[in-house]
Amino acid sequence: MIQQKKTIASGLSEAEAIERAKQGDAEAFEGLYVLHKRRVYSLCLRMTGNTAEAEDLTQEAFLQLYRKIASFRGESAFSTWLHRLAVNVVLMRLRKKGLPQVSLEETLEPQQEDGPRKDIGTRDNVLAGSIDRINLERAIERLPPGYRMAFVLHDIEGYEHNEIAEMLGCSIGNSKSQLHKARMKLRDLLKTSRAEKAVQR
Amino acid sequence: MTCADFQRVLPYIIETGGKAEEERHLRECPICSDLVQDLRYIAEQAKLLVPMEDPSPRVWNGIKGSLEREGMIKPARARGRLLGPIPWMAALGAMILVSFGAFLVERGRQQQPGAQLDEQPPVVRAVSLNTIATEQDDEQLLQHVAAARPASSRAYESNLKQVNASIAEAKKTLQQDPDDGDARQSLHRAYGQKAMIYEMATRSLP
Repeated sequence: MIQQKKTIASGLSEAEAIERAKQGDAEAFEGLYVLHKRRVYSLCLRMTGNTAEAEDLTQEAFLQLYRKIASFRGESAFSTWLHRLAVNVVLMRLRKKGLPQVSLEETLEPQQEDGPRKDIGTRDNVLAGSIDRINLERAIERLPPGYRMAFVLHDIEGYEHNEIAEMLGCSIGNSKSQLHKARMKLRDLLKTSRAEKAVQR
Repeated sequence: MTCADFQRVLPYIIETGGKAEEERHLRECPICSDLVQDLRYIAEQAKLLVPMEDPSPRVWNGIKGSLEREGMIKPARARGRLLGPIPWMAALGAMILVSFGAFLVERGRQQQPGAQLDEQPPVVRAVSLNTIATEQDDEQLLQHVAAARPASSRAYESNLKQVNASIAEAKKTLQQDPDDGDARQSLHRAYGQKAMIYEMATRSLP
């Protein structure tokens, strides 16, 4: 697999830092942390919607990385491997806590929104060109936890439905359904936000 | 096929395409066509969301502390210096945070809904966002990095570019809506990140 050559602040390439970190080199490990902390933290933050929780999970993910880095064989890109590790850390924590956001029953069971929509026969302006990053981030934060997880993993992080199904322990159909509901909810939230802004002006 | 029929199967066909009947409905029904267009647009926009935030320094401190306690790494030697040979970077990093803090306090006092950033009184302008870490400062930082650690130069350049873009975007949003708390938070975070870049440079350059 061809890996992009990344350089970390200490001047090491990513590959060199990985090899050194495998030998227990703390500085090389710190370099890997600097290189990947933003992406891992963003993933944790988007999946949990909670800053303190996301920081804690980022810490846990990198601690696991330090313990497991020797098992990285380079079969996939390091960032992909680390990312998967981080996703597993988040999911594990959420399941352990047994909070609403982990309840797969809640997130995966059919809900009212499965039925035909009230506005099924009405036409509204399309969203194209009206979403900016801040609005979208804000709307994602407001998604119910299960929807948010499917949306973050598929649309932001780029996982396939079969991978998400495996991670969440659900069927591929359920993953597709959750993603669809998440996008529908986002559409509603974004349209509402646009309408509110229009009224304010 | 009705809209309800179409929308019932939509989750399963939106990415792969449906049967002839479903495709025909999509072509002919403006409501379902708008819906699919919106959902695809949301998915496209989501792909453009890049990670914007760094975790706070306490995350790394926590990791280091845990590894030291477990005996997996040795405690780091105390650093003999705080600022190093290029103290302006550290000073500027600190200034970014302090100035932005002052800016927030002043904004809180002013409480002028609808006021534009450019219309602030001189006391606010003195610490306004435009005067903190100028392009020249950034260039100077990059020159130092390029001279001392050429291999890291591109990473610093890319990080600065990204954080400056976040600052510009948040400022633009704030100019449109000065009471937008999320935009203000984004701006705060972006300045925090910028300060960290300067701090990292201070610590890592010889």
